[in-house]
Amino acid sequence: MSDKYTPDTLTPELKAAVIDLLYRLADDSIVIGHRNSEWTGIGPILEEDIAFSSTAQDKMGHALAFYNLLHELGEPKPDDLAFLRDAKDFRCCSFVAMSHLPANAEGDVPELMNNPTRNRLIVHGDWSISLMRQFLFVEADVLRMHALESSTYQPLAAIARKIRGELKYHLMHAESMLRHLATGTDESRKRMQQALNSVYPHALGLFEPTQHDKTLANAGIAPGETHLRDEWIEHITPLLAGAGLRQPTDVEPVFGGRKGRHGDELVALLADMQKIYRMEPTGTW
Amino acid sequence: MTDTQWQVFEVFHQPVRGEPHVHVGSVHAPDAETAILMAKEQFARRQACVNIWVVRADAITATTYEDADIFEHGTDKSYREAFGYETTKRAKAVGDSAEL
Amino acid sequence: MVQPTRERLNDQPGDPGFEENLAKFEARVARGDKVEPGDWMPDAYRQQLIRLIHVHANSEICGALPEGTWIPHAPSLKRKMALVAKVQDEVGHGQLLYRAAETLGKSREEMIDELIEGKAKYSNVFHYPAETWADVCVIAWLIDAAAIVNQKMMAEGSYGPYARALKRICYEEAFHLTHGYDMCISMATGTKLQRDMLQDAVNRWWKPIMMFHGPSDKESKHTELLMRWRIKLKTNDAQRQEFLVKYLPKMFNLGLTVPAEWDLKFDEKTRTWTYNEPDWDEFVHVVRGNGPVSAQRLETRRLSHEHGRWVREALAAAASGRRVPMPN
Repeated sequence: MSDKYTPDTLTPELKAAVIDLLYRLADDSIVIGHRNSEWTGIGPILEEDIAFSSTAQDKMGHALAFYNLLHELGEPKPDDLAFLRDAKDFRCCSFVAMSHLPANAEGDVPELMNNPTRNRLIVHGDWSISLMRQFLFVEADVLRMHALESSTYQPLAAIARKIRGELKYHLMHAESMLRHLATGTDESRKRMQQALNSVYPHALGLFEPTQHDKTLANAGIAPGETHLRDEWIEHITPLLAGAGLRQPTDVEPVFGGRKGRHGDELVALLADMQKIYRMEPTGTW
Repeated sequence: MTDTQWQVFEVFHQPVRGEPHVHVGSVHAPDAETAILMAKEQFARRQACVNIWVVRADAITATTYEDADIFEHGTDKSYREAFGYETTKRAKAVGDSAEL
Repeated sequence: MVQPTRERLNDQPGDPGFEENLAKFEARVARGDKVEPGDWMPDAYRQQLIRLIHVHANSEICGALPEGTWIPHAPSLKRKMALVAKVQDEVGHGQLLYRAAETLGKSREEMIDELIEGKAKYSNVFHYPAETWADVCVIAWLIDAAAIVNQKMMAEGSYGPYARALKRICYEEAFHLTHGYDMCISMATGTKLQRDMLQDAVNRWWKPIMMFHGPSDKESKHTELLMRWRIKLKTNDAQRQEFLVKYLPKMFNLGLTVPAEWDLKFDEKTRTWTYNEPDWDEFVHVVRGNGPVSAQRLETRRLSHEHGRWVREALAAAASGRRVPMPN
């Protein structure tokens, strides 16, 4: 019964909703891709460094694909979207912008001739946060993209189908790592539990409801956020329990990102990311 | 200082269905499951691939290069090759000129 | 693979059968046959190769640092993905090379420990800082170009596992070179700010680049033996010339210049470049760990190795079945 939509057949109301959806998808992708690539070259072991870097590249590629869809709908070109917008214009959740640093990562950082963010990562960074975030994100990403494979907005459905294989690997990698790290040593169990506790409220922010949810769901373009969240919880609960981790309950989700309200972490991340591009915003790099 | 030195898995990849698996290198991994995850990105992130095998290196038994002469042929073994026969000519002589 | 014990190898001058085995070994190498891990080889050949491959592997994972630090700043989505892919390749090359060295009897852990303890060397160029985005462009183009001259040669060398690793590495380096040249073309044909940034980077990197292939043949003590055993196929000076002959014209074509103190001149008769010899004492001083950022590089590698330890231990424990008990 649903219509099939293309850029030309969207009503103005649907178009506004699709644009908002695409910003959420694209901004989540570029920001988590950026974060995960901070580990490239300094990962916990060479083989895992390589694997994690690939997932970061994939997410940047997904971001580009979504930015291209936005450009088709009359928004600026992809590089300008990634590098010229301020934090308030980003629609990612706070979860993807979180740094890899534990809450107690204070103190001076020696000058290691990296950028300051990387210096801090090298001195204080904790892989357990990165991997736990990756696991929780990937589980949501796979559910969301799987649902979008049958989106009535055809350009989006095409992308969702195209990236299915990449996401399947992200899932294999994240689930395997989670199981290994949560069951490995006392130390690794403890780190993974702490990481879960600290990132979980932000992870719920992946499913922050928006004013467009009903419109998108009714038009068959995207599943509702609350529906996705329930599916996600149903999915990760046995996986976390199977790995011996205690899933936090009665958690207050961290919302705001989908409305452009962000903390310092995204502002700092964008300052890093956009620094060179903004030196010559009309130039070719 | 030395900590966990993971074991070595040899990696074989198959570029397309129907082709044989070819040895492409090895990875350090704690188990086969992780070895597959690591091998996929280290050895198949560019080239076409449809299937990967990983095998614990210590599960492989090999000949030595010193014994490479066991593969040499000391005497004429052409009797077990098609090219060792002139049967096309001989078949024609007995009246069979169709393909062998 | 288990290495036979030292006593049974008889691989040192004076050992029983050494001269006879050496003659056979050298004949095989001269024929162009590859040497494989289980083969008899003189201990000096084994040690030279371990040293060489170890330094090469260290250079890859230390080379990942100056460029890795610029990943967060890469100024377009394409550049960002490409730079992650490039640094990832370097980590991958480190993995391949450490593995090749392991076939000669030294474990990767030992080699990484020696690197972070400052007991093993890595390439001179990574003892210098990458100060601007243009440095990333210069590293990706010119230093990779210089490295490719070296690696293409080494890929024809006599040791099978090293040659095989290098074939794969050279294939990936072709992408690095294109990516690097592409970035330099953008900068050189860009705004004044971009052109100045690029020239400034060339000015700062030219000395390390001139030193990259190692001391002049007049000063290099290893060359003769390495060439007889086909561990090395061209002298340092020959590699440097090959690099200069191919890349200086491309640089000039982009409007770049080389600092005047090098006095680079093309000799039409010999078709080679003449230049003021680098200060090889300084080179030795730098690669011994006294370069501008040598200490920071090793500290970065040490911290990264230390912080990864719990991950490596956890995965090993999980795999071996030594798991922590499930909580109630």
